[in-house]
Amino acid sequence: MNILEMHDIHKSFNDLEVLKGIDLNVAKGEIVAVIGPSGGGKSTLLRCATTLERVDSGKIVIGGDVLCDTNGGKIRYCDKKMLGEIRTKFGLVFQNFNLFPHFSVRRNITEALIHVHRKSKAEADEICNSLLKKMHLIHKANEYPCNLSGGQQQRVSIARALATNPEIIFFDEPTSALDPELTKGVLNVIKDLAAEKMTMVIVTHEMSFARDVADRIVFMDGGVIVEEGPAYELVTNPKEERTKKFLAGY
Amino acid sequence: MAVVCLIVSEIIMNSHKKNYPEGAKIKKPFSVVLLTAAAGVLAIPLLILVIKKLVDLVTGDLETFISTIRLLGQGFGFSFGIFFFTIIFSLPLGLIVAAGKMSKIKTISAFFKVYVSVLRGTPLMLQLLLVYFGPYYLFGISTGSIEVGPFNYRFIASIIGFSLNYAAYFAEIFRGGIQSMPKGQYEAAQVLGFSKMQTYFKIILPQVVKRVLPSVGNEVITLVKDTSLAQVLAVTEMFTQASALASAQVSVMPFIVAGLFYYLMNFIIESLLGFIEKHMNYYS
Repeated sequence: MNILEMHDIHKSFNDLEVLKGIDLNVAKGEIVAVIGPSGGGKSTLLRCATTLERVDSGKIVIGGDVLCDTNGGKIRYCDKKMLGEIRTKFGLVFQNFNLFPHFSVRRNITEALIHVHRKSKAEADEICNSLLKKMHLIHKANEYPCNLSGGQQQRVSIARALATNPEIIFFDEPTSALDPELTKGVLNVIKDLAAEKMTMVIVTHEMSFARDVADRIVFMDGGVIVEEGPAYELVTNPKEERTKKFLAGY
Repeated sequence: MAVVCLIVSEIIMNSHKKNYPEGAKIKKPFSVVLLTAAAGVLAIPLLILVIKKLVDLVTGDLETFISTIRLLGQGFGFSFGIFFFTIIFSLPLGLIVAAGKMSKIKTISAFFKVYVSVLRGTPLMLQLLLVYFGPYYLFGISTGSIEVGPFNYRFIASIIGFSLNYAAYFAEIFRGGIQSMPKGQYEAAQVLGFSKMQTYFKIILPQVVKRVLPSVGNEVITLVKDTSLAQVLAVTEMFTQASALASAQVSVMPFIVAGLFYYLMNFIIESLLGFIEKHMNYYS
């Protein structure tokens, strides 16, 4: 069963076509890494899948619910209620964390649980505690994000994305704002999630991480998927000239 | 003389500083210490003179002084009333104007753009006069009999005028604060499923408050002093009282006392703002 289905996605910013017909399916429990040069459309693809950008045409299905569909060349998005429903099915981890600076770590995680998912405070706290333990951050529960290192902040934002128990998590270059040492801590957390068979789509520049953790790698450039295949094979034995050139840089 | 001593010592100090590396602790040369002390000694007679003059002003006629304070105190009540109600009305109004100016609907944003432009671009005194005389001269409405509780129309008109004017300034401050918020905060809230209202009131506004507090404080302090403009509507606020008393007594003493009242008020506001700012410093 596919958690995410994207079909023939087109997206332009003014006159610049950023996505030129992307097809991407992600099965339950699958880990897909999206790699490629900057400006290739990776982040835009992720932003389209997470409702932050509207696509111009194509079809997106998340967790069985249709986010948008194109009929006779006209795009149609689902209604507000369904949109809210769909937003509970995925989590998104940003490159620059985007934690709420005026909330404590605990409140960053519990706020949506209490006010969007209508859980009791005790329930939310319990979920928060178990997630923070998993992130090795339980001792930071009452700190504010500004007192945490970048790596710790990113782990909090992963906990925040996990709190609502989503079916799929999107990572948008989760370690690009971190130094190599902090990167390791965040990647280890993602590895733990992989071991639990969490469905994930990860946009990343960490090639060895993508190779070791992902099931499948998608190489994007110029708004199209140039090549995709099993992770290890694509990294060690790329077929397309463009992929070879890109990977040679690592 | 004292001032000359201070200037000379400052000049010596400046040339002396050049001998030290940046940020190093500077040992004051003996000449500077001497000059500073001399300045202090020379200033004492001047200070005594000023204090004596002030004491003379006050005790020259203690009865007049006390009645001055009493009358100014009454005037201060009106000044404070204008200040208080203006803050109550103009802050929320400013938020509405800011939201209106940022509206995606063109006619709404155009209307509030003109509002802010006109209210900031014309004298506050003129606006007060317009609010007071406008109803009669434009629509023939007699305002003399309008009363809300203990307040006559002069008082009400000044509050309306001040509120409309200050809302325009607050709106621009709020707009700046709201637009300085990083886009990521909206996106994180949206992805987590918060509604637009929740995002606005839980995520954005609390952060905006912290960002705009220093600028809002600026306007609040200006407002305390601007209440003196209400004298054009013959509201018996403090400055009106001070003017009347000053001409009656042929003395500047009422103005000095009024100045002290204004300063005391603003000193309290300043401390309060500092306290709130410190209180909100739990995150950066």
